[in-house]
Amino acid sequence: MPKIERFLFFTRRAIYLSRTNNEYLFTKFINMRAASTVRIEILYGIRDMLPMSLAAATYGLAFGLLASQSGFNNFQAISMSALVFGGSSQLVAMDQLVLGVGPAAAIIAGAALNMRILLITASMESIMRDRSWWHIGLGTFLATDASVALMQTAKSRLMTDSYWYFFGGGASLYFVWIVVTTIGAFLSSGIPDPELVGLDFAIIAIFVAILPGMWRGYVDIFPWFIAAGTVIFFGVWLPEYASWGLISGAIFGAMAAGLKND
Amino acid sequence: MTNEIWITVFGLGLISFLIRISGFILASHLPKHGAWARGLEALPGCLIASLVTLMMIYGSTLEWITGIIVLVISALTHKPNLAMFCGIALIAALRQLGL
Repeated sequence: MPKIERFLFFTRRAIYLSRTNNEYLFTKFINMRAASTVRIEILYGIRDMLPMSLAAATYGLAFGLLASQSGFNNFQAISMSALVFGGSSQLVAMDQLVLGVGPAAAIIAGAALNMRILLITASMESIMRDRSWWHIGLGTFLATDASVALMQTAKSRLMTDSYWYFFGGGASLYFVWIVVTTIGAFLSSGIPDPELVGLDFAIIAIFVAILPGMWRGYVDIFPWFIAAGTVIFFGVWLPEYASWGLISGAIFGAMAAGLKND
Repeated sequence: MTNEIWITVFGLGLISFLIRISGFILASHLPKHGAWARGLEALPGCLIASLVTLMMIYGSTLEWITGIIVLVISALTHKPNLAMFCGIALIAALRQLGL
């Protein structure tokens, strides 16, 4: 049933039941409506996350493959994906371990790359506000770069404040992440080269593609210029700290936006 | 090596979760109006702009050309998924041609 028809159906039914003064049926209907809304929001989240899941799948596969070649057993590789849920930080931490620098340095390197997720969960605060700590814990755990992409699709669905929309998207990405890590870890070889079919470009393409949707107008010129400029500065002059350039770029850009009208 | 791997897996898992929850706690204590609110509102866009810049500064010429085409398709059609799939198909085709 199309969205507008479904909305009209539920509205008419609610008005009818409230007019008949049948409190039992009305309450039952409202509860059913709430459950139905949650299910619909979760399904939309899963659907809108599909392109990002495809992009993440190539990285998950690569991680599983590299982990099994780097001395991780399958259970360790899958556990890392299940607990960390952060592609680049997992790859860097694994790389550091292989270099023999020890777990502390590996954890710090991985955590440095995950610092950007702090900014993502900060910008998702309004979605999880007033929810139970259990929901907040789950919602923040499922937050990734892809959640920012989902913020853009949420606008067109009028679901920018829907917890279950983001939960559906995050949970489906998590599921894909674990599955592809497992496949990569068990296959350990014989996977076709992703470059041949252009899949390595998927992660760049999806973030480039969502940029126009993030654009709020001329108000973004200055913050984005500052953000990009900071990243370029780190990338060119301090390439070994490029991941810090990413975090600094986002923070300086946001600061520029905040201070601009003061 | 096995113990080191487990320490890293659990340590990084725990720290990553603390990082995630800290972002929410930090934002919930910030004012909902004024400069902080404007900054938080601009944050997702700035983060994606930074991420794309970081990916592109290390990108090849082929990736730059395809990236610009993806950007144009997405801006014109308002369909990021379509733009992404066009980009993947285009770069695969160009690579097959040996470019």
